[in-house]
Amino acid sequence: MSKQIKSLLQQAELYRSQGLLGEAKKKYKLVEELIAGSDKLPNKQKLLNGLSKKMEALNRDVETIEKAPTTPEMSAHVNELIKKLFSFSSKDKDASSSALEGAIALAKFGQFEGALEEFEKLLNVKSQRLSAAKNILRCYLEMGNIETATEKLEKWQKGDLLVSEQIEKLTVFYDDILEKKGLKKEPVVEEASAETASQEEKFEEEQEFLDISAVAITFDSGPYKGEQVELDVSFQSGNVISLIISSKDEALIENLKVGVRLDDVHFYSPVAIFRGAGLVSAMTQIKSGPKKGDYSLDIKIESL
Amino acid sequence: MAVFNLKKREIECKIVYYGPGRCGKTTNLEYIFKAYKKQVEGEMVSINTEGDRTLFFDFLPMELGKIKGCDVRVQLFTVPGQVQYSSTRKLVLRGVDGVVFVADSLEVRREKNMLSLKDLQQNLKDYGLNIFKIPMILQYNKRDLADEGMPIMPIEKMEKDLNRQLKVPSFPGSAVKGEGVGVTLQECLKRTLHSLQKQFNWAQK
Repeated sequence: MSKQIKSLLQQAELYRSQGLLGEAKKKYKLVEELIAGSDKLPNKQKLLNGLSKKMEALNRDVETIEKAPTTPEMSAHVNELIKKLFSFSSKDKDASSSALEGAIALAKFGQFEGALEEFEKLLNVKSQRLSAAKNILRCYLEMGNIETATEKLEKWQKGDLLVSEQIEKLTVFYDDILEKKGLKKEPVVEEASAETASQEEKFEEEQEFLDISAVAITFDSGPYKGEQVELDVSFQSGNVISLIISSKDEALIENLKVGVRLDDVHFYSPVAIFRGAGLVSAMTQIKSGPKKGDYSLDIKIESL
Repeated sequence: MAVFNLKKREIECKIVYYGPGRCGKTTNLEYIFKAYKKQVEGEMVSINTEGDRTLFFDFLPMELGKIKGCDVRVQLFTVPGQVQYSSTRKLVLRGVDGVVFVADSLEVRREKNMLSLKDLQQNLKDYGLNIFKIPMILQYNKRDLADEGMPIMPIEKMEKDLNRQLKVPSFPGSAVKGEGVGVTLQECLKRTLHSLQKQFNWAQK
C-alpha cells in the first residue's frame, strides 16, 4: 500500500507543478481515503497530518487563482498593442473604423478606462458618433457605474451633439441593455454594484436593427400618391423586412416596383415608431401555399 | 485574415496556438522566442494572471525573411485556455490563418482536449471558417511526463480522439524541452503559406 500511496502522491505533486490543481486535489483525496481506511499503516496520523498540510497549501493556491482579477488594468503599452492587433480595418483607408475597432477590443479585454478615452475621441467623428456613444454607455454599465451612464445619456439628450434620430436610437439601446441586465434607470447603487461586469456582453460594433412588426408607407407618386398604407411585416433579416402584398392590390404592386425609394416610412417596433426610409429590393410571386399568387416584397431599411 | 501588400511584396499572417488550459501553448511560444531569435521581431508579450495562466493572449511577432520573392511576417498568438475566458479566446481567434492545436498527453486531460477542439470548431464556425479547411496541425504535448511515471495517453489513442476526422499532420512534443516545437511551427507555416498562395497568389514562380 505504501508504494501505491507514494505513486499517487507523486502524481498529485506533478499535477500541482503543472498547474492542474483540480487533478492534484483528486489525487490527494484518494491518498487520504487510502490512509484513513487502512489499519496496517504504523504512522497513520502523522501521514494524515502531512497530507492535510499539503491540501491546505493547494487550497490556498486555488483561492489565489480564483480571487485574481479577471480584467486587471494593463499598461499603456499593452493597451496600444491590443488596439493595434485587434483592429481589422485598414488604418490608411478607414482610420476612424480602425480606431473604433481598437477601442471595442480594449473594452472587450476589460480595459474600460482606456476604451472610454478612445470612444470620447470618436464622438468628434461624425460617422462613428452613434457607435461611440453606445459603447460609452455600455462601458459605464460594465463598470457598474449606471449613474454616470444615465448622466451621459441625459447630457446628449439635452445637447446638440447627436441628431434626434440618433438620440432616439441611443435611448432605445440604453433602455434595452438596462432591461436585459435587470437594472432600473434610476441610479440604485446596491443594484448597480451587485451587477458584476461580464466579459460575455457584446460591444456595439455594428448598428443594431430593431424588430419591426409593421410599416406605414406614405407615397409621393403613383396611384397611391399622398396616401398612407399600413402593411404587416411577415419576416425580418437584419435590415431587410418582407411584406405580403395581395395579388388583388394591383395599384400597390404598381407603386412598389423593385428599386423604388420610399422616403416616408413609419417603422413600428415593439418599443416605438420610427420614421425612416427604405428601398424596394425584391418582389417575388408566391408559388404555393395559402398565399399563392400574392407577392412577397422585400424592403431594405436605409435609415431608421 | 492575412494582409498582402502587393506593392511592397509583403505578406503578414496570423497563427493561433489553441488548446485546453495548461496544455503548454505559452511554453511553445517561449521556446520559439528563445530558439528562433534571428526570426523573432521584437519582444514576446505575455499577459498572465496568478499561477502563470494566460489571461488575454501571448503574442510573438516573427519575420521569416524573403520566401519566393515576398517578405513574410508571422504573428503567433496563444489563446487563454481556461473555459471561463471564452469571449477572449474567440476575439484572439479572429482573422486567423493557421492553427496549432496543442493537446495535453496526460490521461486526466483527455476530456479537456476534446472539449477544447470542439470549442475551436465552434469559434471558427462563428467566423465563417471550417475546421476541416483551415491549415491546422496537432501537437501532442507533454510526452516527456511518461519518463516521470505519469499516466499519459498513447499517440494512437490521441489520434483516434482528436484526429480521426481531421486527418491533419500531428507531432509528439515536449514544449518544455523544445521537442517537437520547431517541426510543429514549420509544418503549420508551410500549410498556411500554401493556403494563402491559393488565395493571394503571392509567390513569385
